[in-house]
Amino acid sequence: MPFRRPRFVTGRILHNSGHGIFYRMEVSIPDRIEFLPGQFAMVSGWPGNDPLLPRPLAIFRAGGVRGKGTVEFVYKVVGRGTALLSGLHDGDPLQITLPLGNGFELGREDRIWWLVGGGVGFSTVFPAAVALEARRADFDLFLGARSRDQLPPREWIPGAGVPGRAHLCTDDGTAGFFGPVTDAVRERMDRMKAAERGRVTILACGPREMLKGIAELAADREVPVQASLENHMACGFGVCWGCVTGVRDGDKVTYRRVCKEGPVFDAREVVW
Amino acid sequence: MVIPAAAPDLTSRVGSVVLKNPVMSASGTFGYGLEFTPFYDISRLGAVIVKGLSLLPTPGNAPQRIVETAAGMLNAIGLQNIGVERFVREVVPRLADAGATCVANIYGRTMEEYEEVARRLEGVASLSAIELNASCPNVKEGGIAFGSTPEGLSTLTRRVRAATGKPLWVKLSPNVSDIRSVARAAEDAGADAVTLINTLVGMAVDCRTRRPRLSNVTGGLSGPAVKPVALRMVWEACRAVKIPVVGIGGIQSAEDALEFLLVGAAAVQVGTANFRNPNACVEIIDGIAAFLARERLAGLDEYRGSLRI
Repeated sequence: MPFRRPRFVTGRILHNSGHGIFYRMEVSIPDRIEFLPGQFAMVSGWPGNDPLLPRPLAIFRAGGVRGKGTVEFVYKVVGRGTALLSGLHDGDPLQITLPLGNGFELGREDRIWWLVGGGVGFSTVFPAAVALEARRADFDLFLGARSRDQLPPREWIPGAGVPGRAHLCTDDGTAGFFGPVTDAVRERMDRMKAAERGRVTILACGPREMLKGIAELAADREVPVQASLENHMACGFGVCWGCVTGVRDGDKVTYRRVCKEGPVFDAREVVW
Repeated sequence: MVIPAAAPDLTSRVGSVVLKNPVMSASGTFGYGLEFTPFYDISRLGAVIVKGLSLLPTPGNAPQRIVETAAGMLNAIGLQNIGVERFVREVVPRLADAGATCVANIYGRTMEEYEEVARRLEGVASLSAIELNASCPNVKEGGIAFGSTPEGLSTLTRRVRAATGKPLWVKLSPNVSDIRSVARAAEDAGADAVTLINTLVGMAVDCRTRRPRLSNVTGGLSGPAVKPVALRMVWEACRAVKIPVVGIGGIQSAEDALEFLLVGAAAVQVGTANFRNPNACVEIIDGIAAFLARERLAGLDEYRGSLRI
C-alpha cells in the first residue's frame, strides 16, 4: 500500500542534476507514496551536524511500483543546505520525512484554475497542474521569473502543449510578458467577463511579496486564492512551532504553523 | 559455548518514577506527543514530556521565531500552547490511550499561576510527574525571573511543592553563574529531581540588513553546539545534589546519551534531534541497548555514573 501519513525514510539518489538555475533530483524510497499537490518533504543528506536542520522541498512528482517508490524534487540553491544537496551524487543516501502539510484543495469542480508560480514556486503548483490536467479541468499557468534563463525548462511545464495555457512573465522582458507576474494576472483578469471571473480559483506559490500582490488584487475582485507559504522550519511536522505565520481569526491574529495548518492558506486570512 | 545474553535492562528511576528506559522527549521539541504517533509507538519512550503548559492558552511570539546557527539553532517560540484545561480535556486521554508515560512541563507568569497549573494537574492520574519550567529564556514571565537565582528558585519550588503531591522535577537554566547552587536550592526546597540544561541565551543578527534575525532579538540555543556545556553542568550538578539529575543538551545519538549517563545522569531528554530525525528517540534507545550488549553489561545500572577520573 502506498503511504499517506508522514514517514521518515532513507532514500537513495537516482539522479541529481542541474537544469539552468534549478536542480532536479529523483530519489528511490522504500515504498510508494500518495501525496496531495502542494505537500512537501523535509530533506537532508549531508554528513555531520552543520547545517543541523533538514530543508523543506515541495514534492514535485512521485511514482514507483509496489514496495518500491520514487519521489522527485526541484530546487534552487539559495543557501548552504541546498548547496550541499546540489553536491550529492547518484547513489548517495538521503533522509526524507514525507508527505507533510495540507496541500491544495482541488475538490471543487467546474472552476477555472489559475496556477501562479514565482521563481522556484512553480515546483509547488506544477503537481496541481498535473492533477487538473488528468481530470481535464480548465487551468492556466502564470510563471514569473527575473529573466528568461530563470524560467522552468519548457518540457517541465504540465500541459504546455495547449496553446495559450502557459503565460510566461519576466521582470526584464527577455521572455513573455514584460513585468511581474502579478501584473499579468491582473490584466488578464480584468479582461474577463464578470461571470467567468466568478469561476476562477487561484493557486499560488512564490516570494511573499508576489503572494501578497496576488492576494490583494484577487480580494478586490472577490476571487479566492490558495497561497502556499514558505518559512524557515526546524521539524516540518508541527512540533517546534517555529514556522508560524499570522492568520486572522475574527478580529484577533493567531499564529498558525506553516508546516501543519499550511503550507496552503486562504489568502484572505493571512496577515501579509 | 556462548550463552545468549538477555536484552540489557534499561530500566531507569527518577526518584519514585520508574521509566522503562532512560530516554525522554524534551519539552518544547515534541509537541504534545501525539504528533509522533505516525512515526512510532510513543509508549516505547521512557517518558513523553509535553510542551510547556500555562494556565491560559498562550499565543507565543511574533515570527521570526527560529534561526539556524553553527551546529545548532536559536528559538524564541514564546511558549505558545493550548493551556492546561484543554490539555487535560483533549490530550491527556489520548496520551493515556497511546500507553505513554507522560510528564507535564508547566510554567506561569506569576508564582500563583504556577501553583494553579500544578493544582489543576493534581487529579490527572496518568501524569507521572510535573516538570517545573523555571528557565525559559524567551518570555519574561516564563520562569527565568524565578529561576536565575537560588533564592527565586527556592521560593518557586517550595510553593509548587506545597501545591502538588506529584513528583516534582525542576528544569534548570544554564544562564546562571553557578549551576551547583541553583541545583542545591531546588533540592533543599523539595524538588524530587532536577533536569538540565534548558537553552543557552544567544543572538543572531544580519550584517546586511542590520536587523536581528529573531523578532524577540535573543533566543535559546540548542543542538549539538551546546552539548559540552550541558555535559559539564550535568556532571557538576550530579556531584552537588543527592536527588536524581536528568541530562539534557544536544543529544543526537546513543553515544551522546551514554556520555550524560556516564557522568551520573539518572536519565536523559532528547530535544532538537527530534526535529531533524523524528525517530531519534527510539534510535537512541536501541543504540543504548546495543552498546550495553556489546560491553557485556546486564543493565544500565552497571554503567551509570561510572566515569573514571
